[in-house]
Amino acid sequence: MATRISAIAVALVAAVAAVAFGVPTARLRIVLALIAALGVVAVALLTSARVRAEHPVVTRTLVTVIVVAVALIGTARFSTNVDTDLSLGAAMTIVLLGLSFLTGSSGQISLGNGAFMGVGAFTVAIWANHHHASPLILVLVLAVVAGAAVGFLFGLPATRLRGPYLAGMTLAFAVAFGAILNVFGSWTGGDSGLQLPSAENAPHWLVHLYPASTASLSVNSVWLAGLTVVAAGIALFFMSNLFASRFGRSMRLVRDNDVAAELVGISLPRARVAAFVISAAYAALGGGLWTIVNNAVTPSTYGFALSITILSLVVIGGIGTIPGAIIGGLIYAYSNSAIGWITAHTGLSPQGNVASQLNGIIFGTLLVLTIVFAPLGISGALRRLWSRRTW
Amino acid sequence: MIGVSGLSVTYGAVQALRDVSFDAEPGKITAVLGANGAGKTTLLRTISGLVKPRAGVVTLEGKTLTGTHAEDIVRRGVGHVPEGRGVIGEFSVEENLRLGSLVTHHGRSARREALERQYTLFPVLGERRRQAAATLSGGERQMLAMARALVAQPRVLLLDEPSLGLAPLVTADLMHTISDLCAASGLTVILVEQNAKSALRIADHAVVLYVGRVVANDRADVVAGDERLRQYYLGLVE
Amino acid sequence: MDAFLTSRIVSDILGGLTNGVIYALVALSLVLIWRSTRILNFAQGAMAMLAAYVGFAVLAPSTNYWVSMAVAIVAGVALGALTERTVVRLLYGKPEINPVVAMVGFLLVLESVAAAIWSTTSRSLPTPFSIIDWQLAGRPVAMSPFALYEVVTAVVVMVVVALVFQYTSVGLQLRAAALNPEVSRLLGVRVTRMLTLGWMLASGVGAVTAVLVASNYFTGLTPTTMDGVFAFGFIAAAVGGLDSPVGALVAGVLLGVVFQFVGDFINSNAIILVALGLLIVSLMVRPSGLFTRRTERRV
Repeated sequence: MATRISAIAVALVAAVAAVAFGVPTARLRIVLALIAALGVVAVALLTSARVRAEHPVVTRTLVTVIVVAVALIGTARFSTNVDTDLSLGAAMTIVLLGLSFLTGSSGQISLGNGAFMGVGAFTVAIWANHHHASPLILVLVLAVVAGAAVGFLFGLPATRLRGPYLAGMTLAFAVAFGAILNVFGSWTGGDSGLQLPSAENAPHWLVHLYPASTASLSVNSVWLAGLTVVAAGIALFFMSNLFASRFGRSMRLVRDNDVAAELVGISLPRARVAAFVISAAYAALGGGLWTIVNNAVTPSTYGFALSITILSLVVIGGIGTIPGAIIGGLIYAYSNSAIGWITAHTGLSPQGNVASQLNGIIFGTLLVLTIVFAPLGISGALRRLWSRRTW
Repeated sequence: MIGVSGLSVTYGAVQALRDVSFDAEPGKITAVLGANGAGKTTLLRTISGLVKPRAGVVTLEGKTLTGTHAEDIVRRGVGHVPEGRGVIGEFSVEENLRLGSLVTHHGRSARREALERQYTLFPVLGERRRQAAATLSGGERQMLAMARALVAQPRVLLLDEPSLGLAPLVTADLMHTISDLCAASGLTVILVEQNAKSALRIADHAVVLYVGRVVANDRADVVAGDERLRQYYLGLVE
Repeated sequence: MDAFLTSRIVSDILGGLTNGVIYALVALSLVLIWRSTRILNFAQGAMAMLAAYVGFAVLAPSTNYWVSMAVAIVAGVALGALTERTVVRLLYGKPEINPVVAMVGFLLVLESVAAAIWSTTSRSLPTPFSIIDWQLAGRPVAMSPFALYEVVTAVVVMVVVALVFQYTSVGLQLRAAALNPEVSRLLGVRVTRMLTLGWMLASGVGAVTAVLVASNYFTGLTPTTMDGVFAFGFIAAAVGGLDSPVGALVAGVLLGVVFQFVGDFINSNAIILVALGLLIVSLMVRPSGLFTRRTERRV
C-alpha cells in the first residue's frame, strides 16, 4: 500500500514539475497538463497488482501511455537539438523492437536491419517525390509494406536454415545495399540520395500553442519528435501484445526447442519467416521516419556500419526484450552527445582520427563485452537487480 | 594395475556413481556389469579423464590419475574404446590407426611397425586400410576401435560395450581376441558389458554396479555362480 | 590463337579467375574455422585487414614487399591465436547467435581501431610485379604479371593447406578434433590447442588474401577494404557448403567467373543482385551447400 501511494505521489510531483516551469503559453500548459494527468492515471492504475495480473492488455496500454506521455512532455521542453536527437532515437527504438522480436522469439539474428531501414527510408523519399502531398500515414504504410516484402524475400531461406547462415546472408545484403541502390540509380538518386520535395511542417494547432515569436524550426522539431514518439508508442504497444500473444509464445518455443515446437503443431518455416518479415517491416518504419525527420535520405547513412550499430544497440540494451529496445533507442539518441563530451574532456582533437572512431571503438568493445559477460544486456542486469531488491 | 577407490560422480542433481571401489589386476580381465544406467560408462569416462569425479581417486600403478586431462591419461598408458566405438567415420581405416599411434613418442618407422602389427592382429583391417571407416561393418568397426587403442601400446584397456549390436558369433570371436590379448601381453582390461553372459565367460574378476553402487566385487566364477546376482542384477535367468 | 586469347570470353574467364581465387581464399578461411568450431568468423576480413596494415603500414614504406608480406602473415597468425584464446574461447557452447554477435563486435573494434591509427584514407600497396596486362598482337590479354602472381599465390596457399590437412600428423589431428573432439581427446589429441591452431591457420590465409586484395590499385588498403570481399567470400562458402573446403574453393572460383560475365554482359552493378539471388536460391535448394557430400552413416 505504501509503495502504491508513494508511486502515485512521485508521478504527481514529477508531472506538476514538468508542466509548471517555463512553458511559454497557457494553452500549451493545458495540453501538457492533460498529457501529464493521463500519465499519472496510468501510474495509479499500474500500482494495482490486480490490474497488472488480470488485465494484461490494459497494463501494456498503460505502460505505453506512460512512456509516450513522458516523452511528449519532454519534446515541448527540450531544445531543438535534443528534440532532433530524440526523434532519431525514437525511430531507432522501433527498429530495435523489430530486431529484438526476431531474436527474442526465434533465436535468429539479422545483420542487415540497417539495409531494411534503408528500404523504408528510400520508399518514403521516392514516393514523396512522385506523389506530392500524400498523407503521412499512407507514406509510412508504404514504407512498412516495402520493408516487409524485402524481408520476406530474405526470410525465405529461413525456412530451411538457421542462425549463422541467415546472419551471413543479411550481412551480404547490408554490405551490398549501396550497390543495390546504385542499380536503381534513376529512382534512388545514386550517391547523392534524395531530398523531400517539401518539409514535413508542424500542423497549425501545434504552432498556435506557441508564442508567435517562436522560431518555426523549433516548433517543427517538437512536431517531428512528437510524431516519432507516438509512432514508437504504437509500435511498442503492438509489439508488447505480439510478445505475449499465442504467436509470440509459439515463436519462443521455436527458439528454445525446434522439435517440441514441431510436435505441438507449430509450423516452423512459417513462424521463422514471419518473425523475419516483422523485423524488416519495423526497420523500414524506422527508416521511413528518419527520412521525414531529416527531410532527405542519403545512401551512405544506410551502409553496413548502421546495421552493426543497430546490432550493438539491441544487444547492449538487452536483446529479445522490449525494455532493451527502449534503452537502446535512448543510447542511440544521446550517444553522439556523450561521445562529444568525452572528446572534449579528454583533450582529443575533435577532427582527429581517434575522435572520429571513438563511437565504433566504444560500441564494438561494449558489444563484445556484453555478449560474453552479460548476454542479456542492460535490461537483463536491471531485471536481476530488481528481483534481488530488499524492500 | 588400476585402483579405483571411493569414486563418486554427479551430473547436476543426479548421482551417477556412489563410493565405487575396486582393483583391476594386470594381465586379467575385470568385467564391470550391470543394467542400463548403472553407471558403467560413467565409470570408464571417469577413469579416462573425460569426467571429473566429485570424490575419490583413480590410480595407475599406485600413481594418481585423477585430475589429469584425458589427453594426458592416454599418454600414461590408458586406452579407452568408447561406447559406440567412436571410430571417425570420415577417416580411412589407416587414418584412424595413425591418429591412435600419435601419442607414442616413437619415430615414423616405429609407428609404421605398430600399425603393421595391428594389421597382422586384425587382417580384415589390413584389407580395408584405404576404406572409409564409415563403410565398415559393426564387427569390423569394433576391431578398428580396439586396434586404434592398441596401436598406442597401452598398459590398460578400457572397453565400453564392445558387443553392442554385434551378432552372437562375432561377439564370441571378439571376446576370444580380448582374452588372448590380455593373456599374451599382460594388459589390464576393464570390460564394461550389458551382455553379462559372454563377459563372464572370459573375465577373471567381476564388479556388479547397481544405480551407481557396487553390489558385488568378486572372482568372475563366483559372481557367475551367485543366483541372487544373476537374477536381480544381471538379468540372467535360465 | 592470339585472337582467341584476347577474345571477350577468355578475358572474362581470366578476369573472373583472378577475382575468384580471392573469394575462394576467404571462403577457405571461413570453412576452416566453421568446421572446427562451428563459428562463422564475421571478423575474418577485419582481422586480415589489420594484418595487412601491420605488414605494410607499420614498417617503413621502403621495406621489401616480401618482408612486408611475411610480417603480415605472422601478424595474421598471431592475431588468430590471440582472438581464439581471448574472445572465442568464451563462446564455445553458447547459443549460436552469441558468437555471431561477438565476432561482429570484434569486427567493429578492429575496423575502428585501424581507422583511428591509420585513418580511413586509402593507402596503395607496392606490387612486386607489373599490373599492366600482357599484350598479344597489340591487344591486351586480361592477365597481368601481378594477376598471375595472385592466382599462383592463391593456388600455392590452397595446396599447402590441403597438404597440411591431408598428409601431416598435425593435419590429421586438426581434422579429428573438428570431427569428433571427445574421441580425439581419448586418443591424446590436444583439442583446445588444435582449435587455436585452426584459427591461426585460417587467419594466416586471411592475411595473404588481404595483402593481395589491397594491392589492387582501385581499392587500396582501407579499414573496410575487406567488407565487400568478405561478403563475396561468405557467399562462396555458403553456396559451396560451409563444411566443404573443396566446395568453398570451387564455388569461389566459379562465382568469380560468373560475376565477371555478369559485369561484362549486363552491368557491374547487377553483380551484387545476381550474387544475392544466387545465395538465396542455393540456400533454399541445397541448404548444406552444393558440394557437400552427405556421408552415409550406418549405425
